[in-house]
Amino acid sequence: MSIEPITGRYVTITVEGAPRRIYFEEAGQGRAVVCLHTAGADTRQWRHLMNDAEITANNRLIAFDMPWHGKSLPPEGFETQEYMLTTEAYMETILALIDALDLDRPVLSGCSMGGRIALQLAALRPEKFSGFIAIEASDFQPAWYDIDWFDRPDAHGGEMGAALVSANISPYAPKAERENTLWMFKQSGPGIFRGDLSFYTRDDSLIARLGGIHTAQTPVHIIVGAYDLTCTPQDAKRTADAIAGATLAVMDELGHFPMSEHPVGFRPFFVDALSKMPSQG
Amino acid sequence: MIEVFRNIQAQLNETPHLLRLGRLFSETVLIEVGEDQLYLTFEKGQLVEVIPGPSRKTPWRFAFRTDAEALEKFWQPLPEAKFHDIFGLVTIGRGKIDGDILCLVKNLRFFKEVMALARPAHEVAA
Repeated sequence: MSIEPITGRYVTITVEGAPRRIYFEEAGQGRAVVCLHTAGADTRQWRHLMNDAEITANNRLIAFDMPWHGKSLPPEGFETQEYMLTTEAYMETILALIDALDLDRPVLSGCSMGGRIALQLAALRPEKFSGFIAIEASDFQPAWYDIDWFDRPDAHGGEMGAALVSANISPYAPKAERENTLWMFKQSGPGIFRGDLSFYTRDDSLIARLGGIHTAQTPVHIIVGAYDLTCTPQDAKRTADAIAGATLAVMDELGHFPMSEHPVGFRPFFVDALSKMPSQG
Repeated sequence: MIEVFRNIQAQLNETPHLLRLGRLFSETVLIEVGEDQLYLTFEKGQLVEVIPGPSRKTPWRFAFRTDAEALEKFWQPLPEAKFHDIFGLVTIGRGKIDGDILCLVKNLRFFKEVMALARPAHEVAA
């Protein structure tokens, strides 16, 4: 038997004028690194890195479930609401969480929609962070599918979402971790993947902001997997090229959920990314 | 090409989790590989018929159209990027899906795993 070093707790923050009960996990000590999960998933995507003693020896990894995701509750009255994530609410949530945990300029590390919002914060609120690791992140991705497929009363949106995103997982990923990655999508609440995708596939406001990111103050490192059909290496390169001083790493054998689908393959890229971030906030 | 799909047919009928996954799927799917057309008729998850086309008399629910070289790459144990998934083929213009796409999406895991039955297993380091 082994008990993992990850601890989980809850904190209530205010977003859009109303309380949100947030579940967060952390492991390690030293430089704070806030980790953002992808659309339709939760903090479990980060568990492998949070269980990595070498990484947590000098890094305090903190991951939280967005409202409506994982063990974070939706807001009161959710039963009559249509969940649609917005750039504004997403940024407000992250900033409120950082304040609630009294974090001083953490590194922000996000994947997919988490990478997108990390770049938005790099442009709009850089003073709150010391650097940005944007994984499977790009300026904008219009949907090549109909996001309404994933919120229907006559079908299981999570099953369909998992079947769709499996296209973004590398065949090099160990089978067990591929399936664990997909399980999170199957567990997400009705309409949640769709609401996340609304943010991810419809808000193109980042494009015009990329030129305003100052990497001399807050470094930006982008990581992308060759097997990612949603954010391709070309998409990530286009985005990195638009940010003066941004660096880019392409992972030949990984896909859209690298920390979750293939933790061993992703580890050296994450360690390299951390080495590019300031040692203290 | 029809031999490959007849092998898929045999494999599907020996794969209980897929038969369970497809238990509500009773449709005909058109597979077009270059000039060749095949009609796959499923009944409650079982692939009951693989019929060569073309046929003007066989209605189908959705179609997946590709070429033989792309499918050969798709069926490699470790396919290269873009050739690893039917949607990857679509994104590079080597695959096309039409017909009742919502029907496909509702049964997407089933259809993708059936199509991948011709892909040999590979060992992946932990």
